Amino acid sequence: MKNILLEIENLNIDYFDGETPLAATKDIGFSIFEGETLGIIGESGSGKTSIANAIMRILPANASVSGRISYKNRDILKMDDKEMKKILWNEIAMIFQNSLDVLNPLLTIGEQIAETLREHKSLKRKEAEDITKEYLEKVGLEKDDFKAYPHQLSGGMRQRALIAMGLVCQPKLLIADELTSALDAKTKSEILDLLSNLQKEFNFSLLLISHELDTIASLTERLMVLYRGQLLEEGFTKEILRYQYHPYSRGLINSSTTINVYKDLWGIPARKTLEEGDGCPFYSRCNQKIEICKLERPSLISLEASRKLACHQGGILEVLRGEDISKSFMNKNGQVRACIDCSLYIRQGEFISLVGQSGSGKTTLANILSGVLKKDSGSVLFKKENSEAMKLGSQLGGVQIVFQDPFSSINENFTVLDAVREPLQINKLEDQVEEKVKEYLSRVELENSTGYLARRIHSLSGGQRQRVALARALIMEPELLIADEICSMLDKSTEANILRLLKKLQNEEGFSMIYITHNLNVALKLSDRILVMNEGRIVESGNPVTIMKNPKDKYTKDLIRFNKKNELLLYD
Amino acid sequence: MKRYKWILDIIITILIVVTLNFFIPRLMPGDPFMYLEGEDGHIMSNFSEGDIQRYKEYYNMDKPLLEQYIDYLKKLVKLDLGYSIYYRHEVSYLIKSRLKWTIPLVAISILLSSFLGTVLGLISAWKRGSFFDRLCYFIMIILNEIPSFLIGVLFLFTLGAKYKLFPISGGFTLYGNFVTRKEKILDIIHHGVLPSLTLMLVSIGDYYLYARNSMINILSKDYIKTARAKGLKNRVIIFKHMLRNGIAPILTRIFLSFGNIVGGAVLVENVFAYPGLGKMMQSSIKTRDYPLLQGIFLVTTLTVLVTTIIGDKINQILDPRLKNG
Repeated sequence: MKNILLEIENLNIDYFDGETPLAATKDIGFSIFEGETLGIIGESGSGKTSIANAIMRILPANASVSGRISYKNRDILKMDDKEMKKILWNEIAMIFQNSLDVLNPLLTIGEQIAETLREHKSLKRKEAEDITKEYLEKVGLEKDDFKAYPHQLSGGMRQRALIAMGLVCQPKLLIADELTSALDAKTKSEILDLLSNLQKEFNFSLLLISHELDTIASLTERLMVLYRGQLLEEGFTKEILRYQYHPYSRGLINSSTTINVYKDLWGIPARKTLEEGDGCPFYSRCNQKIEICKLERPSLISLEASRKLACHQGGILEVLRGEDISKSFMNKNGQVRACIDCSLYIRQGEFISLVGQSGSGKTTLANILSGVLKKDSGSVLFKKENSEAMKLGSQLGGVQIVFQDPFSSINENFTVLDAVREPLQINKLEDQVEEKVKEYLSRVELENSTGYLARRIHSLSGGQRQRVALARALIMEPELLIADEICSMLDKSTEANILRLLKKLQNEEGFSMIYITHNLNVALKLSDRILVMNEGRIVESGNPVTIMKNPKDKYTKDLIRFNKKNELLLYD
Repeated sequence: MKRYKWILDIIITILIVVTLNFFIPRLMPGDPFMYLEGEDGHIMSNFSEGDIQRYKEYYNMDKPLLEQYIDYLKKLVKLDLGYSIYYRHEVSYLIKSRLKWTIPLVAISILLSSFLGTVLGLISAWKRGSFFDRLCYFIMIILNEIPSFLIGVLFLFTLGAKYKLFPISGGFTLYGNFVTRKEKILDIIHHGVLPSLTLMLVSIGDYYLYARNSMINILSKDYIKTARAKGLKNRVIIFKHMLRNGIAPILTRIFLSFGNIVGGAVLVENVFAYPGLGKMMQSSIKTRDYPLLQGIFLVTTLTVLVTTIIGDKINQILDPRLKNG
């Protein structure tokens, strides 16, 4: 077991601007071990830099700090200035966020590096200069850059100089704030390699503050997710990037183009309620909040070894789970096995696609999951309970399914009003439904005038009918919406509009979706996860990048190959 | 070629200044022999018509203005500043004899006020919000707002007249018997204390406020945060990282105020009847002594020009960003 180098407990930082304090961090606690690399991610304003500044004791005068920051078992916050100055840079150094202003414009780069050696290592001018030049070369600059002024260096060179400055006293802990945020891709990759090699060479501990996932991924072993001054999730970097427990972590990571190469970008929707309380910091933006989230702040507790989470719900909820589902049909040729041992799960707010050719069993599986069709064997759990007894389709907050063919799925002689309110009426759920129908029509971007409500379904176009079908499903406020090839009978432009609408609604309302399609490209654009089905089996599952980069099943490989071939036809 | 452009600029500036110096005094009503007396606007003269005519011929003032101007330029090229009509002495001699009084007075007060003002401003900024800062700020604001002659008169009445600590007028004791050279120098210093103290107090507030402001601005810069994070000693942070960045505009300001060496001292020299150039300028305006006025104005503008250039060069040396290439 390695030794703890820096341990932070109950760190609270407040900024006083006028009377009311503004909290930058709330009860932060974490440790860094010797030689360990730890990352902090979070949106701007989450308090990342405040933590770094608190460790270096360079917070502005209007900030108040409480808690404990112990370095080698001594509390930094209680040291006098003289003691602190001995530790600063000599043991804890920092690479500041790159800007022209972080270096003194009137002093040469070399002087600004060498002065720390003279201060902390009691070196003579000449010795300090020699060591500085050695470090300049180490970070890929030249000896002559010693005499350069900050304004004479490019952004990348300045970043290298800042790294040399941070390392020259051989600190035990290096804090790097937004190491790569202003750099182009090539320089960025070089800087990341450089720091990674230097870290291996000197074995210092690294606290890396960044909002860039690729930087975090390439430099850190462990990761913490910070939101509005509170830690929401903590664990090994690789694991968090692969699978997130907290809805905020998922939103943050999904907003990155590094992770989402194929999918359209959807940020975390802005806060829905303005209610703020002493509860969870993510309360106002969360789609799975419950009463306690508003009242009480969740504490960071261990889920499993090396993984911690702060969420009253225990992280993103599982909405539906199917296990070993099998289904056979009889036809004139005998038994057809439509689904064979299909297992899958879907989490709250997740968008998954079921991809496969016609006859692969997608629709059968969808119908079983939604409760429309009975399975032969296996089980379907809705929110961890057996769904057999529940009528998922006829309750609010259940599962709804929208079918492929808008022309036959709704009675053509219904008015729009009748079609949309039918599920509520059949299930005797609500009386005053007309207002609700109008609201949902406007959500699916249809007219909601009285005239439109009275129109008959047969007078609507395919796209409009599919929107009516969506409104009819959404009015039941489903937790899970299954869409079965809903665009296959529509023209391409209408398809694009409907899909964008659907994705927007899903992102805002936070319901989960299973989208069934034979079009891999559409699935890539929409999904968090893709399941590939072939001959009744789920043969592959994973996020779009792993599926595309590293397909395992032969059928998936074929699918990708045909896809590529079709693309090339167009551009040859 | 471009490197020497600034020399051409200076020559053109001097030419414009010299021209203005020549014409402006002559645009005032009256002339050296007939000048405004008192506040009621009467034109007075101590000479008869015939005398005036003769004098004008003697001083070439009967010729057309343009011809006089060209004559003046010709003499100027030979560094001849002309002859004072009122004092009946060479202008260059007169100016030199007065400058030796004004320069030490102004120089000492500028050096003291800029040094003290800057140091106090620096400490104030570093300890911003402390008792020291608030007290200093309060005093300096008040000093800055009081007109110079008022401070002078105050000193004159209290330290001079009431407590008789310092002489109340002049640059040295008239008809004094000095046995040794040392005694004479002490006498001169004794006379110089109140005027230079006044001048110092007048301008110290300006330096203080300027330095404090400039340092507060620098304190908020990221590189000061870097310097603190590097665990450098406070001394190093203040003098190496803060002062060096804030000093350039302050130095420029000091040099610019050296340019005001003559003008700046006029009021104080008058209050203390100090035999400096400012006092002479005031009396030569009164007597419309054209050659002397031209000479004083020329010296004044030349000092402003020279000190501005020096200030500029110093700025360039201190700030590597202003160097070309």
